[in-house]
Amino acid sequence: MSGLLFNTAFAFYVAGLGFSTLVFFSNKTTLFRLAVITVGIGFGLHSGFLIASAVETAHFPLTGLRDSLAFFAWTVSLCFFVSYVRYRIRALSTFLLPAVAALMLGTVFLKASPIKPMLSSAWLYVHTPLMFLAYGMFLVTFVAGVLYVFEERELKNKKPKTFYYQLPSLTTLDDLFLKFLVAGFCFMTAGLLTGIVWAEQDWVNGWHKDPKVVSAMVTWCIYLALIYLRLTAGWRGKRAAVVSMAGFLWVLFTYLGASYFGGLHQF
Amino acid sequence: MHPVLVGLSHKTAPIEIRERVAFREEAVTSALAALRRDYQIRESMILSTCNRVEILAQGRDDEEAIAGIKDFLYRYHSLEPDSLEQYLYALRERDAVVHVFRVASSLDSMVPGEAQILGQLKQAYAVSGQSGAAGTALKALLPSAFRVAKRVRTDTGISQSAVSVSSVAVELARKIFGSLKGKSVLLLGAGKMAELATRSLVRSGISRVFVASRTEARSQQLASLFGATSIPMADLEERLPESDILLVSTSSDSYILGPETVNDAVHRRKYAPLFIIDIAVPRNVNPRVNQIENVFLYDIDDLQTVIGANLRERRREAELAEEIVRQESERHMQRIASMSLGPLIAGLRGRLEEICLAQLEPGRQGMNDTDSTRMEQILRKTARRIAHPIIMEIKSPAQDPQRRLHNIQMIKQAFDLDKGE
Repeated sequence: MSGLLFNTAFAFYVAGLGFSTLVFFSNKTTLFRLAVITVGIGFGLHSGFLIASAVETAHFPLTGLRDSLAFFAWTVSLCFFVSYVRYRIRALSTFLLPAVAALMLGTVFLKASPIKPMLSSAWLYVHTPLMFLAYGMFLVTFVAGVLYVFEERELKNKKPKTFYYQLPSLTTLDDLFLKFLVAGFCFMTAGLLTGIVWAEQDWVNGWHKDPKVVSAMVTWCIYLALIYLRLTAGWRGKRAAVVSMAGFLWVLFTYLGASYFGGLHQF
Repeated sequence: MHPVLVGLSHKTAPIEIRERVAFREEAVTSALAALRRDYQIRESMILSTCNRVEILAQGRDDEEAIAGIKDFLYRYHSLEPDSLEQYLYALRERDAVVHVFRVASSLDSMVPGEAQILGQLKQAYAVSGQSGAAGTALKALLPSAFRVAKRVRTDTGISQSAVSVSSVAVELARKIFGSLKGKSVLLLGAGKMAELATRSLVRSGISRVFVASRTEARSQQLASLFGATSIPMADLEERLPESDILLVSTSSDSYILGPETVNDAVHRRKYAPLFIIDIAVPRNVNPRVNQIENVFLYDIDDLQTVIGANLRERRREAELAEEIVRQESERHMQRIASMSLGPLIAGLRGRLEEICLAQLEPGRQGMNDTDSTRMEQILRKTARRIAHPIIMEIKSPAQDPQRRLHNIQMIKQAFDLDKGE
């Protein structure tokens, strides 16, 4: 049951991505509605998959790289919907939906990993979703930053092209950027705090030397610096986009690369 | 039946011809009356704008009507047929429908997507209605055209992008700031063009206007016009950080604003964007200002470039609109065709019922009332059942018009349906 849900969700995501790509190049508004509906169905099926597989295996599917990729895809599409409902920026889909599809595709190549005993704790269901929601929001932040730079460049060069016609105002993009940045930061802070409490309870000493923990702390500092610079020194546009890109790359490293260096986060 | 259309436009005729053929507003009613009186034109409408003169008409016969309208144009404007004929187009049936839809949707306009033409067309239709010159043919076509125009406007971006200097200024400001509410504009110098642009900005929600001009009187005049605050030229540097949009149009022949001043202002604005429009010639703002982060400097040529790009964008959207017009004209043709099938269908149903009921007559004596009513009901139902597949067949949209016409003729002959008309 859950496998079927997952595969159909994947298919709907891919179809939605196809429609939104067509929209980007042909600018047919009616088609975009179709894209949003398709991705919406995909998201619904994906949520169904999460619930069904939680019921089937008696634990929430969050306990391995394969599960977490799928969950990350779910938070990204959740963030896409939240941002779309609030801002109606069609171009967001052009950047976020490929990420969703790529994350879903990643799961195809991975086997489900057995559950490590140390993960059978209620903290798993608090710490991990918080972190992935934060990551999803940081991805939106990054995309908003990039879109800002694209539109700013067209406005500066005085050559209105694709982005000029497809995007809302710079101020709107900046607003989206800042809101998702701050929200992502709050979620990440909460995620880190719950992680610390969990580690203090269950884990061996020295968790603070775990590469993933250190890496996540660095990520947190990058975003803290970005918020500070944005609010006090008015950093926006290219500088903010570069920092948010660095931040998100660090997120990816934390997520996928840090456990390569050993440590406790081996799943 | 579809009306015919005879006319000329900016695409076929130069201005010298268009102005000679144009109808003055007050002359239209009498011209419509003349068409009806002298040329047996049953319905007519005259659309006369600076870019086109078109007469839409319904006569007894299409060719007769076209010839009549042409003759009317020659006589009315005292022109030689030879001098005018080459500029005129005459459209019938589907071509006329498509043309009216395209004109209403502003696809045939000089600037595609401009909104005026639809208003002019509505006005022309209203005048035709008031003069009693609009009948079933025009009443079927024009409301459809208005609906198509509305659909084109909402479903495509054909009229969205700005194509005049002041509207481009507003569009750019919106691209940078989003909503213009709470934003302020500082006018430096006060030419006519600056005034126009300010008017557009104020209409789009700008809340505060400051004016600094060398001539005190003009400054005061603008101040009273927009409820603006007049400030001395010397305060420019001090005021700059509070302004979101700077509109420069002084008659100075050298730069009055350089990178240093703007850099300082932007820093004090905490890098909130600053939009500078320099419509002065020679330019008043050093072009290097555009390199400063979050500053967008547009001179008059840049605004023209954006207008050019927007026109290309409108033409791109016009392709989508053409598709809508194609679909809608097809739908309209079908609707009209099925409408004229109405009498035929009613006639056929009646005739079949008649034939069936006639079979009852010889046996009616031997039946009681209940039986004969029952039989009558059954026979009526049978007639309807027989008629149904025939009606479905002639109504079928898949049929090609030639064959449909042939089938209609055949049914009319076979059931002797023409005699009632």
